Formats: sequence, C-alpha cells, structure tokens
Amino acid sequence: QDRSISGKVIDGSSSQGLPGVTVLVKGTSVGTATDADGNFTIAAPTNSTTLVFSFIGYIPQEQAIGNGSTINITLQPDTKQLNEVVVTALGISREAKSLGYATQQVNSNELTKARETNVVNSLAGKVSGVRITSQSGTLGGSSKIIIRGASSLDAASQPIFVIDGLPVDNSSQQLSTVNSTVPQGSAGVDFGNRAGDINPDDIESINVLKGAAATALYGARAKNGAIIITTKKGKKGVTNIVINSSTRFDRVLKLPSFQNEYAQGNQGVFNLANTNGWGPKISEIQEQTFKNFLGEDETLRAYENNVKDFYQTGHTYLNSVAFESGGDNGDFRLGYTNTYQDAIVPGQNLKRNSINLNSGRTVAKGLDVRANLNYISTSSDGRPVQSSNNPNILASAINGIPRTVDINKVRENVMDEFGQQITLTPGRTGNNPYWIIQNNKFSNSLDRFYGNAIVSYKPVEWLTISDNFGGDIYNEFRKGVTRPGTIGALTGNFFQGNIFNRTINNDLIISTQRNLSENLELRVLAGHNVYSTYYRRDQSDAQQLTVDELYTFTNAASVITTNTSTQKRIVGVYGEIGLSYKDFLFLNITGRNDWSSTLPVNNRSYFYPSVSSSFVFTELLPNNNVLSFGKLRMSWANVGSDTDPYQLDLTYPAQSTAFAQYGYGSSFPFNGVLGFSLPGTIPNFNLKPQNQNSYEVGTELRFLNNLVTLDFNYYNNLTSDQIIALSLPNSTGYAAKRVNAGSIRNKGIEIALGFSPFKTSSFTWSTDVNFSRNRQTVDDLPDEITNYSVASGWSGLQVRAAEGEAFGFYGTGWDRDPEGNIVINQNTGLRLTKNDVRLGNIYPDWMMGINNSFTFKNINLGFLIDIRQGGVIYSSTAQSLRSAGLAEETLENRGNIFIDKGVNRNADGTYTPNTVPVQSMQDFWGNFSSNSNAEGNIYDASYVKLREIRLAYTLPAGWFSNNSKFVKSIDIGVEGRNLWIIHDNVPHIDPEVNFFGPTSVAEGIEFNSVPSTRSFGFNVRARF
Amino acid sequence: CENFLDVNTNPNAATTVDPKLLFSNATVNWINSRSGGDLYIPTALAGQSIASGGNNPTGWGIPSEEQYQISPFSTGNTWRANYTSVGSNLTEAIRLAESAVPARVNAAAQSKVMLAMVVYETTTLYGDIPFSEAWNVEIAAPKFDPQPQVLEGVLSLLDEALAQFDLAAAPALKISDYDLFYKGDLTKWQRLAKSVKLRTLLTMVDKDPSKAAVIGQLVTEGGMISSAADNFLVNYEATAGKRNPKFGLSDQYNAGTPFFFGSKYVVDFMNSIKDPRLPKFFDKPAGAANYVGVQPGEDGDDDVNVRIAKSLHRADAPDVIFSYQEQLFYEAEVNARGLGIPVNLAAATTLYRKAAEESSKFFGVDAATAATFAASLTDLTTLSNREAVKLIHYHNWVDKMDRGVDAFTQWRRSGPEGDEVPNLTLPVGAPAGGLFRRFEYPATNEIASNPNAPQELIPYNSKMWFDL
Repeated sequence: QDRSISGKVIDGSSSQGLPGVTVLVKGTSVGTATDADGNFTIAAPTNSTTLVFSFIGYIPQEQAIGNGSTINITLQPDTKQLNEVVVTALGISREAKSLGYATQQVNSNELTKARETNVVNSLAGKVSGVRITSQSGTLGGSSKIIIRGASSLDAASQPIFVIDGLPVDNSSQQLSTVNSTVPQGSAGVDFGNRAGDINPDDIESINVLKGAAATALYGARAKNGAIIITTKKGKKGVTNIVINSSTRFDRVLKLPSFQNEYAQGNQGVFNLANTNGWGPKISEIQEQTFKNFLGEDETLRAYENNVKDFYQTGHTYLNSVAFESGGDNGDFRLGYTNTYQDAIVPGQNLKRNSINLNSGRTVAKGLDVRANLNYISTSSDGRPVQSSNNPNILASAINGIPRTVDINKVRENVMDEFGQQITLTPGRTGNNPYWIIQNNKFSNSLDRFYGNAIVSYKPVEWLTISDNFGGDIYNEFRKGVTRPGTIGALTGNFFQGNIFNRTINNDLIISTQRNLSENLELRVLAGHNVYSTYYRRDQSDAQQLTVDELYTFTNAASVITTNTSTQKRIVGVYGEIGLSYKDFLFLNITGRNDWSSTLPVNNRSYFYPSVSSSFVFTELLPNNNVLSFGKLRMSWANVGSDTDPYQLDLTYPAQSTAFAQYGYGSSFPFNGVLGFSLPGTIPNFNLKPQNQNSYEVGTELRFLNNLVTLDFNYYNNLTSDQIIALSLPNSTGYAAKRVNAGSIRNKGIEIALGFSPFKTSSFTWSTDVNFSRNRQTVDDLPDEITNYSVASGWSGLQVRAAEGEAFGFYGTGWDRDPEGNIVINQNTGLRLTKNDVRLGNIYPDWMMGINNSFTFKNINLGFLIDIRQGGVIYSSTAQSLRSAGLAEETLENRGNIFIDKGVNRNADGTYTPNTVPVQSMQDFWGNFSSNSNAEGNIYDASYVKLREIRLAYTLPAGWFSNNSKFVKSIDIGVEGRNLWIIHDNVPHIDPEVNFFGPTSVAEGIEFNSVPSTRSFGFNVRARF
Repeated sequence: CENFLDVNTNPNAATTVDPKLLFSNATVNWINSRSGGDLYIPTALAGQSIASGGNNPTGWGIPSEEQYQISPFSTGNTWRANYTSVGSNLTEAIRLAESAVPARVNAAAQSKVMLAMVVYETTTLYGDIPFSEAWNVEIAAPKFDPQPQVLEGVLSLLDEALAQFDLAAAPALKISDYDLFYKGDLTKWQRLAKSVKLRTLLTMVDKDPSKAAVIGQLVTEGGMISSAADNFLVNYEATAGKRNPKFGLSDQYNAGTPFFFGSKYVVDFMNSIKDPRLPKFFDKPAGAANYVGVQPGEDGDDDVNVRIAKSLHRADAPDVIFSYQEQLFYEAEVNARGLGIPVNLAAATTLYRKAAEESSKFFGVDAATAATFAASLTDLTTLSNREAVKLIHYHNWVDKMDRGVDAFTQWRRSGPEGDEVPNLTLPVGAPAGGLFRRFEYPATNEIASNPNAPQELIPYNSKMWFDL
C-alpha cells in the first residue's frame, strides 16, 4: 500500500519554494514534481525508504522517509555541478561536460554584486585568459577586452558580443573632438565602448567563449572570442517584483605625489610666468612677498592638497525594478534601470535609462515565440579631454598648478570683470582648469534599440526549426565646445557629430537529435545566416565664433563638414554534427562557409571547420573519494575572416585638411581650392581571407566531492594571412599597401582553481583563482620588413611587431656603451639618447585573479584581488611632473652637485666614467623626463589590486513569512570597487590607465589621462 | 546572393580626378610642411637662424631642436610629406595629365617643376634619397640614389618641363585656378624653372666645378625670375584653419607670444648695417633701446632680447619658396665668384644691393628707405674676393632667416667646413661633436621598411655630398 508524503522544497539561494523539482522514490520509477510554490505530494510504496530530490542547477539530495508524512528540504544550488548547462554559440545550450573547449561562465549574482556600470569591467579577474583594460576615470569610458592575447597586427582584437543570439555592436567610434586639423591620438575624449550600454541588471549569465572551436559557428566575427550574454527571463511559476538600488561614492584612486618645498620659477629664481616647481625653496624666502596670479602680494606657502582638492566625490545611483512572471505557456520580464553618475571632475555627469522586455510564449503545441526588446538612452556631459594637442586637456592643467597656488583662489577667480579668463600666468600660457570644466563641455547622447524575435517550431519531438531575427540600431550625437577666450583657441570653436549604426542579423537553424543506439546519440544542426552592417557619420567643425557662448554654425567664420558611410554584408551557411557515447565521450564537428562583401568576388567565399572532443574519463574509473570528476578535452579549429569595406579599389578621397605639426594644419577649401589625394594605402584587389588556426587541450578535475576543482587549459593560436596595411617605405609614394601577410602566434595556459579551505554547515570559505599566461610572438613577417608598426604613440614612441617578439615599445632610449652604461654628454653632464630602441613588451607576462568568498549563515563577504605581472607603461603624467619639478622625487639633490652615473664617450671611441656634474637638477629632470625621451618615462606596469569587495546580508526569511505577506526577501550589501592598489611600480598614476582605446591593438601609454577612481557604496535588493 | 553582396563600392571617394585637384593638395601639404613644426622649427633652430630663448618660460624651451634633439616625428613627417602627400600626388598628376587625350602638357610641366623643387629640398635635407625608383607602385623598396645623381635628376626634370611647356596650347591643358602660385601664368613657370636650375647648380658647383660653365651659360641667357611679381610663394589666409602654422603655433600654445627669439647671428649682422628690416623681423621689448639677439641656447631676457616679430609670423604670412631677391643674390654670387663668367665685383655689388633692396621691400620697408639702405651697403670691389662672396652669402642667409630649410642649405653651401657664413658655433647645451648638418633618415617612414635603405645611422653632424 502506498503512503502519501507531502512537503515543500526550498531554494537554498532564495529561501523560497522551488518549483519543478523532481521528486523520485529511490529505486523506483515513482515520481512527481513540485508545484509553483515548491510543494509536492507523492504516493510512496510502503517498502520505500528514501526520496531523491533533483533539479537542474542544484545539488541532488536524498532524504530518508522515516515515519512522518511531511518532508521539507532545502536544495542548494550547485555552482560546480556536473551537468551544468552553458550557452554556447548561436544560443545553443549544451551540457558543460560535453564541450571540447574551454568556456567560463559568470552568473548574474557575480555581476550585480558590486556592479559595474560597464559590464565589461565586471569580468576583470573573474575569467582566466580574459584581460580588461579601461582607458581612464571618464564616466562611461571605454573598456577593452582581450581574450588569449592580441592576435591582429592592426585592428583591435575585440570579441563579438552576442545577446540571446543577436550579435550586437561593441565599437568605440573615433571622431575627432576638436578642429580636425588637430591630431587626436586615439582618445582625445573617451566616449566609451558600446558594450557599456548593456544593462548588467538584465543579464542572467555571461559565458566567455575563448577559443576558435567554441566560436567557429560565428565565423569570422568571433575570431577574437565571444561574449555570450543570456538575459533574464520570467521563471515558470514564479512572480517577482525585484527592486535593486545601489549608491556609490567615487574618489580618485591614485593622485600624483607632489613636492611641497619649492615654488615656481627658473633655476631657483621665482617667476610667476612658470607653471612648475623649479623656483626658490619656499622656506628660504619667508621674509619676502611675491605677486600671485591675481596680482596680490603674498608670502609663499605650499598648498599640499591643491590638486587633491580639485577633485570631488563622485556619485553613482543605480536603481532598477524588474517584473518577472512565468506560467505554463509563457513568461515575461520587464526591467527598467536608471543610472545617474556625477564624477570626480566637477561638471561631468552621465545619465542612462534602459528598458528591457523579454517575453516568450507557446502559441501552439511545438510552436514557441519570444521577443527580447531593449531600449537604451544615454547622455553625458563634461567628458574630460585627454592625450595631447588640445587646449582643453584637463590632467596637465590641474597637475601643472604650482605648489604655491591656492586652488580655492583658482576656483573663485575664473573670469575677470571684462569677461576675460583669469589664467595662472601673466603670459596667459595655460588655461585655468575651472574655465575648462565650466565652459568647454564635451557631451554625447545616444539612443539605441536592439532586440530580436525568435520563432521556434518543433513539428516532431526530434526536430526543431527556429529563426532568430534581430537588429541593433543606434544614433549617437556628439558635441564639444571650446568657448572664445580659451587659451589656445582664443576665437572659440565647436564640433558636432552624428553617428548612425545599424546591424541586422538573421539566423535560420534546423536541428535534430536522435538516439542511434542505446549508447550513441546524434545531434545535427544546419543553419543559414545573413549579417549586414551600415555605418554613417556626419561631422561639422566650426571655427572662430563671433558671439560668446553661442554654438551655432551660423555664428562661425568657418565650418568644415565631412561625411562618410560604410556598408558590409556577410552570408553564411553552417552545420554541426555532435555525437555522444554513453554520456562520457563527446565529439563535435562544425563547418561554416561565409561569403563576405568586403573581399574580391573570386575570394569572397571561405570555409572553416572545427573539431572538438570531450572525454569524461572518471566514468570509466571506479568510484572513489579523491577524484570525483575528470574530463579531458581537445579541439582544433581553422577560421577565416574578412576585412573592412572598400579596401580593393583605387579611389581618390577628397581632403578636408592638410597636416602641419603641432596641430596647425590647413583646411580645404584653401585659397578657394579643394584638394584630392591618392590614398595612403595601395589597395589590393587580390585579397584573400585571413586565417586563424588554433588548437587547445584541457582538463577539468574535481576532487574530494567537488571541494577542489581545477580547470587547466593550453591553447595555441596562429593567425596568419592577416589583412594588413603593410608599411611601405614612403619613398614609394604610399604609406602602406594592403596585403595578406604576417602571422601572430598566441599560446598560453589558463588555470581556474577553486577550493573550499573551510566548510561547515554555517560557515563556508571558498576561493577561486584564475590564472592565465599568454605568450605572443610575431611568427612571420613578410621578407621585406623586419618589423611592423602597430600603433604610434606620442614623442616618437611606437608599438611595433618584430619577428620572434611580442608587441613592444620602440622609441628614444638611453645611449649606452657596449657594457650597457649610459653615455653622458661631456658638456652638460646629461644623459644622451638614441632613437629606435626596444623598450619592453606592452602585454603582461601573466595575470591572476583571486576571488575569496566567506559565508556565515546569511552573511557573505567576498573580495577579489587582481594581479598583473610584466609589461611596461609610458606615463606622460610622470614625465611632465618630473620635468616641471613638481614631482616629489625632484627634491632629491636639489642644490647639491649631482653627477649622474654613466660614462663619457671619448673622441677615440673609448669610454671613461662620467665626472661631469649636471648644471642643476632642473636640467637633469628636463633631460631625463623630456617628452621626446621615451625610456626615462617608461615603467613596469605590474600591479596587485584589491579589485572588488562586497559584504552581503540576506535578511532571514522568517522575518517576512510572519510579518509581511508581500516581501519575499531583502538583501543588503556594502560594496567597493578598485579600492586599493596594493602594489605597483609606476609613480603618480594608476598603471592600468591607458590612452589607446578598444579600437587600437596597442596599449600601455598613459597620456594626460584623468585619474581612475575607487568607489565604495551600498546596495539594497528586495523581492516582492 | 551575388547582388546582395555587391556593396563594396566606396561611396566616399572619387574614382577619377582632374590632375589639378592633386596638384592643389600637394601644394598645401608642401607649404604646411615648410612652415610647420616639423621642418621649420628644427631647421631654423638647429640652423641657428632663430633662437629658442633657452629656459625663458614663454620661449620654445631647451633642450630642444636647437640642442639637436630632433623628434623622429619631425624627420619622419617631413619625409612622409615630401614623398607621399606632396611627391606622390604630383607624380600622379603628371601621370594623369600625360595620359589624358589630348595630353595636358602644361599641367604636367607645372607639376614637374614643383616636383623638382620638392626633390631638391628632400635631398638637401637627407642627402642620398630614393629618386630614380621612387613613386613606382611596382617597386616596394626603392634604392637610394647618391645625391649628385638626385640633383642631376632635378635638373633633368626641370629640362623636361621646360621642353614640355607649350604657351600656344589651349588653356584647358594647364592648371590655372588651382595653381596657387602663378594662376597658370606659364611664362612665370618657365622663369621659375630656370631659376631653380640655377639654385640647384649653385648647390652642386663647389663639389662639381664642371657646373660652373652651365651656370655661366644660364646667367648669360637670362630668362629667370626677374621681379617681385615672379616670387614663388603661397599666401596663407587670416581665417581659422587656413592660417600660417608659424602663427598658429604661438597663437595656440603661447597666448600669441612668439616662441622664438632673434638669433645673435642675424641681429648682430643687421645692427652692423643699420638694417631697416630689423623692426620687420623682430619685436623689441618695450623700453629696450636696441635690438639684441640671443646666442642660440642662452636664456632670452624679456626685458632685453628681441623675439621674432608678430607681424612676420602673422596669420596670413606667405610660405616663400623662391624669391626675386634670392635670384639676385645668386646672380651676385655668380658674378663675384666668376662662375662660368668672368669675376665682376661691380656687377655683383649692383646685384646684391638690388637684392637687399628687394628683400627690404618684400618685408615691408618702404621703397625710399629700402633704396637708401641698399645704397649704403659695402661696395664689394673694396673687399677681397672671398670676403665679397661671404658678404653676399651673409645677406642671402639673413634674407632667408625665416625660411628654415632654405637658410640651412644656404649656410651649408656658403663655404667649406669652418669657413661657412655665418661662422656658427655649437648652440649652448648641444652635444659635442660638430654642428647640425642634416636630418637623420626616418626609421619608421623609410628605413625600417626599406631593405635597400642605408641601415647604418648617418648622424645629424655628418656632411652630405654637396657640403664641403
């Protein structure tokens, strides 16, 4: 006779009832599932002793039946479960164990704890082999993501972003931000990368596909990896209203270290005209008074915090609400998030509103439809200007303030009674930083819509036909104004730009799954893809404004308007065959053929295959307590890729400007004439697709019942036949020719190690370590060149690829004798330099993230330490602070005789130790840190950082079940990001800031960057 | 599928162009290079025709180009400009003009004269350069021709152009409105071509005395630049985006205060001859009684030393590439040295006085003062021949003070090492080892990507072929 047992299954993560849990009487086929509230009733045969509770994503649990008729249990989520399901290419869900390649998933709770406004940043340190670099402390600034090393010689190696099967745009459009005769570097103003628009609150999980085998079905677009984002959906049987609110405070992470002993001047003599620290010692001239920049007589003193006090506390308010519901025939989620930020730089702010609607429904048996729609509106104001050759550059205007200047006086005296700017020097050589931030605003506003519709039909159980159609469309408006009266642009100017971008994507997929025999399962998939992008930019630059503060083109003496557009289309067909044997041996074969509009008609078609295999060898081992799970995997892929539009034919572009150094070139029409030019690059109508050949092997091991997990991976990627603009000697008349040439090898290891050093029923300590090491080598360059210029920095500094080496800096270095001693000028005692010296790798040797989590009852404490080892960085901030005598280290030896260590080169070519003293430390630093001298300003870029810390407390569920009918749970948290640089080797700046944005393959140059920030705040999350 | 993918035609650029559109672009790029920070500043500072003002807070600053710290950008950008935006567009203009039906002979000839001048400038800067194999899509690594061959090539280009000019041809066969120099006046182009031949030959003659005869013939035949109306220059405009880069630099970065000071070598000489161009060249500090230059590298004193005049570096100041007074100085030199013609110091006196007069007028001195000044200049017949020649050289150099590379070349060809005019010494703070004599080859723009380029560094202080 059967007995009836009922009870409730509680979700250990939410303390709510868990619907859909399979409840099985052990040893029988008798079973049931829990209802929407987690309740179940089962009729168990009398002789049964145990119930088994299982649910995907949770640790299965067995419970003895005993004598009672009620069994309440709690299922704990299994973060490292064997049957973990991951979302792979094209949104296909696969069991993790069946994958023959490495992927790493970050779940929503990782993203919404200490959440970042730019979702890319929240991956830092959490995924091995993935490296994130951000440009600066600009709000909404850009972040670059590099997976397994840079593989391209010229284009940035950014992965593809895919949201619910829709590839979305992650470009960082560059648009010159002032008068276009001024060179911009790559980051005049950092307007961010478009992945920053993605709302972290809407994300269920991010899966990082690192290797070509993982991404082969996406083809060319994913040769640098793929970030697969799955958004949240309403869950069956659950209705929630979730409110999530964060408030954070931002401060400068690292300020320069200033000297506070010397005033401005020259060789020890006070001069108000200097903005430096080479004047007299303040303590020695206390009996004198000097005129300050306001013409007032004052006794000099150092204002130790004058730079610090320029920056303010920035605020971030992130508020979101989501309505989630799901039933048998459909689900629904509507999310709204509002972000407001103001920055450490006064006057800078960012506002973002995003709405997400994700809803699916079964309209007929076997026929499912789903729509996922997103609208994002972002606007920002007061973005700071960085890099060089622009009067509005902020960092140098602030850091260059002499130590004797009271920042309060600078703030209170921006404009005189005649409307003229009050500058810090009588020579009016630099801008008052408050003039810049109050008047010269760089802003943008973006409206973006992306979404997709999926129709999926299952005529029979083993066959699925689905079509996923989506689009990503945005328009961004940018504007930057420079008010008349700005030093360096006295007559004022402004620019406006409109960027329109549209991506349309359609995938039609037919898939089937059959058991060929009892042990052998076959999956077959065939698909067709159409991908189309269109980009359009219109920009106008206005010069010489007549009426103050009126930014209309009709108020300008000259307006240059430029426009451009590009279009690209890809058609692809693809297929996949998957075999699994007895659930422990898996084989996956894919193939894709693409036709790209950007390649010559004869070469536009290209095919790429991949093979991957997974072997869960523990299935063949006897059960043991040491090795709970073991898997070997290996994969190989060969993918092709196309290029940018319009690289094939010779055309003559009209010129808007003609260059002259220091940003003072000319614009056309000039004296009434236009100008056209041959292109800088010789086009190539014989281009063929680029090729990436890669393989990886790895293993996944779990010991002691998952107490320790280890994922180890080795990969080796060779990207060859790159489509590059190969530098030609300029004497050919061209800068470059478009060729298929060059190859880059990236090989490396990735280790993800997880362990719980301590675990009791109420206290858990777990640690995850992500380690990766990538070795990039330029394997093969065309015979005619020995190195290839990847990107150009300032001051003659270049990032180059040289055969057998990783990308590195080349520039002016110390002149050295054969023993390596620095050669010193016999006349001046100053170091000599020579051009074209290799100055170090730009990429790190290895990276490591250590994530610790402590859980005690309802309290969770976590912190993430992020480590970078190796690589170098050039700092212009350190350069200018040193050459100006403002940096703390310039105090050393002042007033003393200083003989630099080195040798003199004699006329006969021999060397003798240097005995010539420098004339002054001003001369020494002027030479050592001259901006044309790269080596003096290059540092080791290694760091150890406390990246993230969060303390979360879940209010006990009991509080609500008794007292409140509608509150389901409340979590409160304290969170901090980038709190502490535990160790670094670069003076004055955060070694992470970087002038090259995501569009450049280069990095490692800091050029007047706005300092990065540390933030600290709190978070409340409530579910109703 | 085929049609769907046929979207790779560039909508942003022209598929065919009139040669004049390339010619105008080459022109503006060339003058920008010459007046811009990459060529003007290093050659004028290292050549000591202007001075940095040392550590003066609103001076250019040291160590800088004056101390021979010349950015690889400067040597690279100048090379790039002359070979790509200037040279390649001229070469393409010639190709398009000559392949047109009917051939646009005068457009081709105009482009050739300008190309010859660009090549001359390039070789005087860098020494041996690619010429015979340059601007050829088929040749990825052009060889470097020795300087005498390059200069011979310049002469050949000019001769080709002179043979090609057809004054009777239809106006459509020349560049008129897009010729920013002469607006299509072919007679002026012909005169210019001959004058450029003279300048080229004078640069060669010290090393190759056989050129003296050709020089004599050229001067005897005449037909070279013969008035200020023939000046080969382009005016900048006083409008934003079209201003002279020399003006732009001070305007943008120094609150309008000129960065550069008067070089002692120029100011002292001009003082000695009571030169009426002094206030045109320099701005004196308020209250200063005299024009006082600075030794290159020394600190400029704002109460004492003169800066380059704001009016000289005004927004609409021209870039001057060949002037009438320059022609007269060359002719004076030919007479004084007796190159291919008998030595005639009296004729040389007349010519160099006329040159100084034209120069004065060019820089804004009124005609009467200019004439008086010219008449006051030393009669060369009272000097030894070498002294006479040196005086002409000094005047020629002072006239070119603000023309960077042109003054630098004038100085180098003015005499053998140690006897140049003026007799420059090492700027303060410059490394020992000799004066600046050339741009080093740019690593990035040429050497690194050209296996046929000299790989051994040829330092800035080593002489090139023409420089004795």
